[in-house]
Amino acid sequence: MRYISYILALLAGTALSFEGAIYGELGKTIGKLETSFYNFLVGSIILGLLWLFFGKGKLSYVVEAPKWTLLGGVLGVVYLTSIVISVPFVGVGITMVAVIIGQLVMSIVIEHYGWLGSKKSKINKEKILAVISMVIALILVY
Amino acid sequence: MGILMILFTFIGGLTLSAQSAVNGTFGRKAGTIETTLLTFITGTMFLAILILFFGNGNLLAILEVPKWQLSAVFLGVLFLLFIIAAVPKIGVIATNITVIIGQLVIGILIDNFGWFNSLVVPLDSKRYVALLFMIIALYFIYKGNKRTSEEDAS
Repeated sequence: MRYISYILALLAGTALSFEGAIYGELGKTIGKLETSFYNFLVGSIILGLLWLFFGKGKLSYVVEAPKWTLLGGVLGVVYLTSIVISVPFVGVGITMVAVIIGQLVMSIVIEHYGWLGSKKSKINKEKILAVISMVIALILVY
Repeated sequence: MGILMILFTFIGGLTLSAQSAVNGTFGRKAGTIETTLLTFITGTMFLAILILFFGNGNLLAILEVPKWQLSAVFLGVLFLLFIIAAVPKIGVIATNITVIIGQLVIGILIDNFGWFNSLVVPLDSKRYVALLFMIIALYFIYKGNKRTSEEDAS
């Protein structure tokens, strides 16, 4: 079961790069904030449909959840807008490298301290080696 | 300008990891589709306000652009659904490193072929070695995570 989660995450990453490249183009025509808005508006419609037909969770949890857990949307806006602005200037590759370094730093910190409700998981030798390999890969790409 | 852009996207990366942690937490209680829906709805509201004040593009041009440029929204939806499903199972670091590898591989391909009118950056031997290191990283994160969960179990 566990490896399915890895495959999903890998596919999510490929979706992210394609998305960045395509929205970089769209942003040139309709504007950067407008591109983000398009994504979130139409995404809401798609998910509204998905939810009506397949949703079996508990949306009403929104009213009981701690308020900070509702901030995902705002964080996504910052991410997407920064991508749309940057891609036409420096290319998809370098944009992704910058995003990635941000992601790496943040996820290590989050998981080590168990911030934002994630399961606390101490850094071990393998994780450090993984990060070192990623940094080497990034330097080579750059 | 370039450096500023890179710094800006770095912050974008920080928020992306924070988002996956926050959404993973919410998703455990509310469900994957529900969490993604909430993320998109609140994002829409937030951007509507931003556009009212700062928007200087032309939203109506959306009717004239080639349709493939509009298809990225499905990718955005898939990305969030997958992330929210993966984080509670394998944790923030493993999810993000795996996402990153997917991103990099496709990013390198897009650059090499100049797909979607992006800047062309050719795939050279350095980038091949980089791909190798990514596979090594994936291997270590998988092992590291397995060890953590084994220690938790005992």
